[in-house]
Amino acid sequence: MGKLPLDLQALGVDLMSMTAHKMYGPKGVGALYLADRPEVHIEPLLYGGGQQRRLRPGTLPVPLIAGFGAAAEIAAQKMPDDAVRLAQLRDRLWQGIHDIPGIRVNGDLNNSWPGLLNVSVADVEGESLLLALEPLCVATGSACNSTNKEPSYVLRALGLSDLDAQSAVRFSLGRQTTRPQVDFAIGRYRRAVAMLREIAPERVA
Amino acid sequence: MSIDTQNDPYNHLVRALFANPDHAGVLEGGIVVSNADQGIRIELSARVTEHRVERLRYRAWGCPHCIAACEALAAKLEGGPTGDLENFSSARFMQSLAVPAEKSARILVIEDTVRQLGKALRDPTASERQN
Repeated sequence: MGKLPLDLQALGVDLMSMTAHKMYGPKGVGALYLADRPEVHIEPLLYGGGQQRRLRPGTLPVPLIAGFGAAAEIAAQKMPDDAVRLAQLRDRLWQGIHDIPGIRVNGDLNNSWPGLLNVSVADVEGESLLLALEPLCVATGSACNSTNKEPSYVLRALGLSDLDAQSAVRFSLGRQTTRPQVDFAIGRYRRAVAMLREIAPERVA
Repeated sequence: MSIDTQNDPYNHLVRALFANPDHAGVLEGGIVVSNADQGIRIELSARVTEHRVERLRYRAWGCPHCIAACEALAAKLEGGPTGDLENFSSARFMQSLAVPAEKSARILVIEDTVRQLGKALRDPTASERQN
């Protein structure tokens, strides 16, 4: 949301939850979309005040809501340019690392949000890869699950082996990401993979 | 770069050893032993002169604690008596590297490999039979 055009009615969406910080808005505020044709009925989880149609009691955080609205407005303005610029940066990043032996993209570059590049590389240990990549702030698995060191269940569902899934790194590019930063990431990733492979014993068949 | 020391899973020693794997490699013509278990792969190679470990090198595939442990043990055991290898205990490394409990089995694999190397240095023909 805030990155790709979304027509919830055309998509036939009944319910959609959204959060402001995914589009550079403040943390701690979100919104819930409920379709009205056909009308979707949900029950509140909390009871008390009658705010927000009796669905979520409590005083509304006005500054956060205003920030969410402003972020949405900016996102709508910048969305087309952001997508083009990020696709260029993502492609530059992939071109810089695609020739590393054993590397693969997880996902479809032509049908995905250009601000993300998820790659796995054969025979490199994921936790060591993350440390060797510092000071890059990248994650294995999904960003919302970044404290979990288990291989991503999403990547496993895509057909990756545990070994390939554990080496998956998710690069997130954003509105503030620059070409020099992408070039730095390319160099750092190449060095990290080379270093870890150099110190690893050959795999026993 | 600033590091959140409270939530950092690696202490300064792990970071320093991981960043400087000076003893990584393999000694051609040396005695070599290897192990693969508990999600790690380790290979140790050594050359001996007059019952002393002249050089000790390792190759490792594993988490940062494992690589740091290999680097630390290679630095410590190189130059010392070969007998130290057979009696090697990883307990001190576990403490100094603050190895989390869930990784202790990996460090014990490293300990076993060091002891295996000690035996092989004492009796190279046994190593040849194993490898």
